Amino acid sequence: MTFDIIGKRFLFFFISGVVILVGIISLATFGLPSGIEFSSGSILTVNFEGPVEHDEFQQEIIDLGYTDAIIQQTRESEFLIRTHELTDDEKAEIETNLSARFGQVSEAQFSSVSPMVAAETANNAVIAVAVAAVGILLYVTWAFRRMPRPLRYGTCAIVALVHDALIALGVFSILGAILGWQINLMFITGVLAVIGYSVNNTVVIFDRIRENLIKGIGADFEAVVNNSLVETLSRSLNTSMTTLIVVLALFLFVGATIQNFVVVLIIGIIAGTFSSVCIAPSMLVVWNNNEWGRFIHWTGSSRVKA
Amino acid sequence: MTRKNAIVLLLILAIFGFALWTILPLDAERLGREGLNLGLDLVGGVHLVYQADFTENATDADKRANMRRALVTIERRIDKYGVTEPIIQQLGDDRILVQLPGFTDIDAAKSLVEQTGFLEFREVELDDTGQPVKLGDYLQKTTIQFIDKGETGDRIFLNQEGNPIAFLVKEADDIKFVDVDGNPADNETLQQYAMDSLAWIPARGDDGTHLTGDFLADAAPTISQDITPEPQVSIQWEPEGGLIFDEIAKRLYNSGEYGTPQRALGIFMDNTLLSSPQILEPEYQGRGVITGDFTIDAVEELANMLKSGALPMPLKKPPLYQEKVSATLGADFIEMSWMAGLIGIILVMLFMITYYRVPGFLASLALVFYGALILALFKLIPVTLTLAGLGGFILSIGMAVDANVLIFERMKEELRMGRTLGAAIEAGFNRAWSAIRDSNVTTIIVCGILYWMGSVLVAGAPVKGFAATLAIGVIVSMFTAIVVTRTLLRLFVVSALTRRTALFSVDRGKK
Repeated sequence: MTFDIIGKRFLFFFISGVVILVGIISLATFGLPSGIEFSSGSILTVNFEGPVEHDEFQQEIIDLGYTDAIIQQTRESEFLIRTHELTDDEKAEIETNLSARFGQVSEAQFSSVSPMVAAETANNAVIAVAVAAVGILLYVTWAFRRMPRPLRYGTCAIVALVHDALIALGVFSILGAILGWQINLMFITGVLAVIGYSVNNTVVIFDRIRENLIKGIGADFEAVVNNSLVETLSRSLNTSMTTLIVVLALFLFVGATIQNFVVVLIIGIIAGTFSSVCIAPSMLVVWNNNEWGRFIHWTGSSRVKA
Repeated sequence: MTRKNAIVLLLILAIFGFALWTILPLDAERLGREGLNLGLDLVGGVHLVYQADFTENATDADKRANMRRALVTIERRIDKYGVTEPIIQQLGDDRILVQLPGFTDIDAAKSLVEQTGFLEFREVELDDTGQPVKLGDYLQKTTIQFIDKGETGDRIFLNQEGNPIAFLVKEADDIKFVDVDGNPADNETLQQYAMDSLAWIPARGDDGTHLTGDFLADAAPTISQDITPEPQVSIQWEPEGGLIFDEIAKRLYNSGEYGTPQRALGIFMDNTLLSSPQILEPEYQGRGVITGDFTIDAVEELANMLKSGALPMPLKKPPLYQEKVSATLGADFIEMSWMAGLIGIILVMLFMITYYRVPGFLASLALVFYGALILALFKLIPVTLTLAGLGGFILSIGMAVDANVLIFERMKEELRMGRTLGAAIEAGFNRAWSAIRDSNVTTIIVCGILYWMGSVLVAGAPVKGFAATLAIGVIVSMFTAIVVTRTLLRLFVVSALTRRTALFSVDRGKK
């Protein structure tokens, strides 16, 4: 029962590199569309008694002068309208017109955020992410304080974490461009939860590397890392599996309102498992073997290896 | 060893029993808590945040005092609507948060908070013989006509709490009873109050000017100079108001004995009677005190209402933040979340049992314990559950087994190395501990930061809910994995099945 995971390290770097690159290109091109919590505006969800066509609904909203509105059909007879901050009169006008056109309308959900609160929310979200990053950095440094070269372990754990966050952001940028998804406060919450989750996986694997290094089993550093990975592999996969099971249950049943959050968790759990198993330990080995140069020539040399 | 296990097991069973007693059924009253505390997004309701619009030269002390008065005023208005457990709070220095669970008419909620309020003074209508007119006097008539023909303003009829139950109004040439919403009044309600309810008509000066809050210069809580000092409200009128008030006072003073309704001046805010002091003197010359059996708080509140006539400062419109969730949507969310939680927990159990067999089964038992204990904690603390909070709880189910997975994997390794089952279990727990601790610390750090972020943000309730439930989940899961699963496993070891390591999904010898 011996898998050679570390031997394929350059393949893993390549896969991650491609995914992150695509994400970064999308981020640079489309950016991250932000929801009303960060950029202010109103969201109005309305229900009708019978089914209503998306196109007709959209046309009606445009005819009312809301050319900036984003329309999402959440159920057969339920629509979500996102637009600038609505006054009471504007909202009443929309509802009157909709019920004149499509029959009895009921307001399922309404939320409206002023520019002032939106700016505060965005600021505080940035602060929270920064504080979380510092907190995790401190924790990782502390957790690896007894390792030989603790900085290396800490750095690799942070790289894994940034990797997961970048993938989540990239995927959301693409989803935003295709499906019109927008990031909200729950998205930030999801990203932070993923960061915590990802570090936790990496720490468990590094913990085992530490233990095995102390025991002194294994021919060289690369073998020790690989053994440790294999030993912890079923734990890594099983934990991800149980978490993924419940998150998928959330996705299937609870859906729409916390969709952003749940999808970030799904992406994050997959990316986090990959980065803890394939990326972070591989980087340790690359660092140990001083193979940085091969990042550039990886195509030629990685097949020779192993 | 075995005895110690038995004690721990008893303790676990006791906690489990306690948790079950607490949550079964969920809405029963246990230790003073009834049902789960559900957030606005689950029960439906309105969430508003307003920015107070102070003038530039308002001092900090003014702002503090005005904020307090505004909160009292808004609370009072909302109380009248009978919203259960409304939350009216100050946010920061100059913001007001209003949460109305179960109240989904956002437009009504907004006008309730934003309204400026109308303060007026009224007196009791008198008939030809100088006796007070009651609702019943009007109901006896076949065709309704005003009894005091000189007064054509609205008559207000009140219940014992001073809230209006009906109005007699003149519209065009028609005089009719209407209720608080302006609809024709319900006859049964009218009959019910016929004997007790007096007819309150506008109090007017000799030239017919209605005495309203506009004529009031100041009102302040003071203490009477009597032998037994009592809290009272001192009022001062504008010059013109003082004259009108004295004209009214003289008339009322001469209308009846002390203590009769004829001598009372009704102070009304938005058609609700705040107070009906007796007129003690025929002339006040611009000043007066309202005495009565008041507490200090009541005096302060009344003074506030009189002085502001409404909110002490306007609120900026539209609100900084507004949110409304319909009750049906909330109910859907709850149902879907239970479904997700139930299916999640069952799938995780199946996975654990398939993969780890006996330990997996024991971990599944521990998971049931976990679920019951968490719900009991949610109910007793109580944690306000939002949709995101339920998400955090469900997520924690998946993460709860992580500690078990770490331990079981370690146990399998120890078994493969040829240890006895008992030794493998102990080694598994001991060696896995550092990983369990370290891995949960990161989650708790993140929860702490999220909780902080959720607390400072106007719209942060979901984030806070998520952080709280996830943190509770992670902490409880460490306890269940380490104490509950371990005890179950130890007890299992002493039973007969221990020789069959296959039950632990390990083939001995094959490495």
